[in-house]
Amino acid sequence: MGFMDPSATEDDLKAGTNVEIPIWLAESLHARRPPLVSVELPKIYKETYREILNADACTVDMHKLGQYFYELGCYIAKYDIKGEVATTLMDTFKQRFRMILSASVSTDSITALQPLSTSERDRTAGAVVTEKALSRWLKRGDCPLTTATMVANHRKRKRAEMEML
Amino acid sequence: MDPYEIEFIGENRIVSIIPNFSYDKIYLICGEFGPFRAGLPMNVPLWLAVMLKQKQKCRIVPPDWMDIEILEGIKEEEKKSRFFTKMPNEHYMVEAKLILGAANEDIPRAAEIKTIIKDIWDIRMSKLRTSMDALMKSGGSYGRLDHLTMMEINSVKPILPEAMDELYRIKVTSRKTIPATLNSSTYSQSGTSQNT
Repeated sequence: MGFMDPSATEDDLKAGTNVEIPIWLAESLHARRPPLVSVELPKIYKETYREILNADACTVDMHKLGQYFYELGCYIAKYDIKGEVATTLMDTFKQRFRMILSASVSTDSITALQPLSTSERDRTAGAVVTEKALSRWLKRGDCPLTTATMVANHRKRKRAEMEML
Repeated sequence: MDPYEIEFIGENRIVSIIPNFSYDKIYLICGEFGPFRAGLPMNVPLWLAVMLKQKQKCRIVPPDWMDIEILEGIKEEEKKSRFFTKMPNEHYMVEAKLILGAANEDIPRAAEIKTIIKDIWDIRMSKLRTSMDALMKSGGSYGRLDHLTMMEINSVKPILPEAMDELYRIKVTSRKTIPATLNSSTYSQSGTSQNT
């Protein structure tokens, strides 16, 4: 296994070396009796990042930090002895749902630098399709229920209401 | 589902028309309608009403709820209530759009009605968005869709169920770890002793 660590001089990995391996390999090595490896949490699931996520998950750029944050997290969660990763995953998802919502109505394309993870992007794409179909339906026909004059009316009425207050 | 499919479903609602021609009963898949007597009001499906109207063969009688006072009341109630109020009609948006589109001149104060229906729709849509967010934040595993019309439910369709599915998936996988943590802690202890 020495090829895993470029700086290793021997053919075999020394015990205690830190190497990055795919999760599928780590899982099977960890499942041996006795386990051949101990699994360390990836950086985004560690205490520091968890604190950031718990404080405000919407500020984190998932596109950069964890494209498959939730999917990998589900696998990783069982290596966290305290079980806090699972809670963080749930809370993060709940908080970031709002971002999907707002991304789905924004006019930018989904790929335009939005800090969403891959699954979040898929979800947003689905929402955008519905949103577009709905607005197309509303605009079509002899009687578009959203017209420019009506929008203007809305503003005027809102201003009138505000002036009354 | 596409909004047009919902429009299609909504077109089966019965509306009242006053034909200006006379004709025998007609037999349709959705039932028999007629006989048509010029000047006498009768009930037909919405799609037939719109079709006849486009051929200038009838006048559409505005539905009871398509009235400024009633709609104002609904709007106020909708504004005040935290929840969704009952709409006069399961397909109010479809009906309003088609009737106001085809038979603008048959409806008194059509422009105002148009605006007010759009207002109600906007209020409900924004309410829907905020409640969706609140539902997710609270981590509720179910949402009640009382009094939502088909068009409104459809507008949250891929995103809300999918998000809830995913939340559930994450929950299940994390729950699975709870019995596992007891075991894996012993494993990882032995693992660390071996590795370090």
